[in-house]
Order: sequence, then C-alpha cells, then structure tokens
Amino acid sequence: MRYLSCLYIFMACMGFCIVFDIRSPKHMVVASLGGSLGWLVYLLASGLNSDLLQFFIASCVISAYSECMARVFKAPVTGFLILSILPLVPGNGIYYTMEYCISGQVDQFISTGMHTFGIAGSLAMGVLFVSSSVRLFRTIRLSRQKTA
Amino acid sequence: MNYDELLNISTEIGYRLLESGGEIYRVEESIQRIFEAYGIFTAEVFVIPSCIIVTVCDEDGHSLTKIRRIRGLGMDLEKVVQFNALCRRICRERPEFQEVHREIRRIDQCTGYTFWQQLFAFALISFSFTLFFGGDLTDACFAIFCGIGVKLVLHNMSRFEANSFFTNIIASGTAAVIALFFVRIGLAHNSDKMIIGTLMNLVPGIAITNVMRDIIAGDLIAGLIKLTEALLVATAIALGAGMAITLSQILL
Repeated sequence: MRYLSCLYIFMACMGFCIVFDIRSPKHMVVASLGGSLGWLVYLLASGLNSDLLQFFIASCVISAYSECMARVFKAPVTGFLILSILPLVPGNGIYYTMEYCISGQVDQFISTGMHTFGIAGSLAMGVLFVSSSVRLFRTIRLSRQKTA
Repeated sequence: MNYDELLNISTEIGYRLLESGGEIYRVEESIQRIFEAYGIFTAEVFVIPSCIIVTVCDEDGHSLTKIRRIRGLGMDLEKVVQFNALCRRICRERPEFQEVHREIRRIDQCTGYTFWQQLFAFALISFSFTLFFGGDLTDACFAIFCGIGVKLVLHNMSRFEANSFFTNIIASGTAAVIALFFVRIGLAHNSDKMIIGTLMNLVPGIAITNVMRDIIAGDLIAGLIKLTEALLVATAIALGAGMAITLSQILL
C-alpha cells in the first residue's frame, strides 16, 4: 500500500509536465518516472531514521538519473531535474510554515520553518553534489585529452 | 565585427532562457559562450532573477553595456530546450545575425498547451496529491473541482494582469471554499487533505529548493531574491486558505 504513492506521484508529475510545458511525450514519461524513482528511494531509505539523510540520498539518485537522461535525450538537465525533484520538495512544509506564522503559533512556525529549510538544503546539497562531480569529471577528462 | 548586434542577440537569448525557467548559471554561461564563439573574450555577464547586465569591450577600448529588466519568471521548459539548442547551434555554426533573429522569433511564436489541457493538468495534480496525502477516492474525485477552480481563477486574473500576491490569495481561497463546500454537504470527508492536495498546484516548493541551490552554489543575491518571492507566495496561499477556513467556522 505504501508503494502505491509512487503511482500517485507519477500521475501528478504528468500533470506538472503539462503545467511546465514539456512537449515531447518521451520526455514527459521519463521525467515523471524520475519523480516516482525519487519517492521510491526516499521510502526505501526509511530505515535510516533520519529524513534529512533520506532526502539527500533520494536527491543524489534522481540528480544522477536526470544527468544520464539529459545525455541520452540530448536535452538540458533542467526539465528532468525539476520534474523528478517535485515529489520531494517541501511545498506543503512552506505552506504550513506560513500558516503557523499568520495564526501566531510562533513555536510551530520556527520548528516547521527550520525543518522546511533543512529539507530544501539537503535536496540542494544532493543536486549540487552530483552536478559538481559530473563537471569535475568532465574537466579532468578534457584536460587529459589536451595533454595526450 | 558588429558588437551592437552581438550584444543584442546574446542578451535576448539570455533573457528568454531566464524568463522560461533556466538556471542562473545556465544563462550566464550561454551568454558568455555566444561571445566566445565569435571570438570575444572581454565580455562580463551578471545575472540575477530580475535583471541581466552584459558589458563588452570592443577593439578600440570602448565599453558597450546592455541591461535587460525581467518582471516575473515563468516556467516553460520547452522554451529552455529550444533556446539551449539555438545557443549550441550558434556556438557550432556561427550563423548570420539575421538568421538568429528569425530563429528567436520562430521559438517565441510556438504555442504551448491549450487552456483545456492545462485545466486537465490542474485537475490531475489535485486528484493525485489528494490521494498522496492520504485522502480517499471520493475526496480525490471532488478535489478535481478544486483544481479546476484554481486554474479558472489564475486564468482570469492573469487576463486582467492582477498582482500575483492578490491572485494567489483568491486562488487558494477558492480551493478551500470548494473543498469545504463538498465536505459540508456530505459528499467528501477530509477537507484538509483536499485543500493541501489542491494547493500543491500553487506552493513554491521548487522555488525554495532552488533558493538553497543558488545560495550554496554562490549566487547569493539570486538566492535572496527568490527566497523573498517564495515566502511571499507561500504567505499569500496560507492567507487565502486561512481566511476561507476561518470564515466557514464563523458562518457555520
């Protein structure tokens, strides 16, 4: 039952493909599968008992997935990455944070807010970790080609 | 070398990339690469989400600067793909400037999904996220109406060029009112699941993740601008939904 949510995520991602104007059907399916993959990894990593670590691992996996797909389909990584990371981003977190802020529940506001930024931070770390590694790898390979 | 024309096309392409959701580093790199393709290595580029500044120094030592102001970033990933491809082509083939202008116009005129397809997308997103957050199937089916309501509000408000803060308040208020209505007449069960499921259409989750990404990557000003924007959007959404829920408690 828990893994059924991956299917819901897939459907939601297909919807967002239309909202964000991804036109090629192949890209739509690949990007939405990335979304499900991210959530699946998040669920599978739940044994770690630290949701920030779960988010970090999931974001590393989908960044690597998006970088691969960008090279397979010769398209910028932006589209694949934005769609794949969608189920993980703390959209509801930021909403509840501001709701607590408006209703004057200061303690809740601060704790939810810090948690939301923690999630956003660990997702960003994962993405940057993978994209920087890819860049580093490419630079090393280019400089080797030059010297050879 | 016609520096003016080169400055114009590189800034235009950068502007369109940024406007359709390209990352800051992608825009800066694309502009720089276009200059390098034509053999100019003196270009300086500065990009933040609201402005692009490009300066180039010609052979006589004169500096040419172009500033392009940007109001409102959208999300149109097909255009990012197309302009990225155009940028690569410029670097590879160095086409005539006329040709580049024609290409830019051609990509501008491409139309996206129709209104009805977008309506369907909003309904689908509300439906799936209501299920995802633990609503049952009836909740999800009625959340479709919330999604349609949100899209109708957004569409009509953008026609009148309303302020985005105000638009978000009305849109999230509409979603909450529709959800509360269906729960009140006994057709749906969990109004909170329906509301948050529908609001996933509006919440700036991607924006808040991009904020952290920009800040860690060193684009501090870009990060701060996007953070302010994301917090404003979230406040508007929370205000709209909060007002609708409070009103319903007072009235009923």
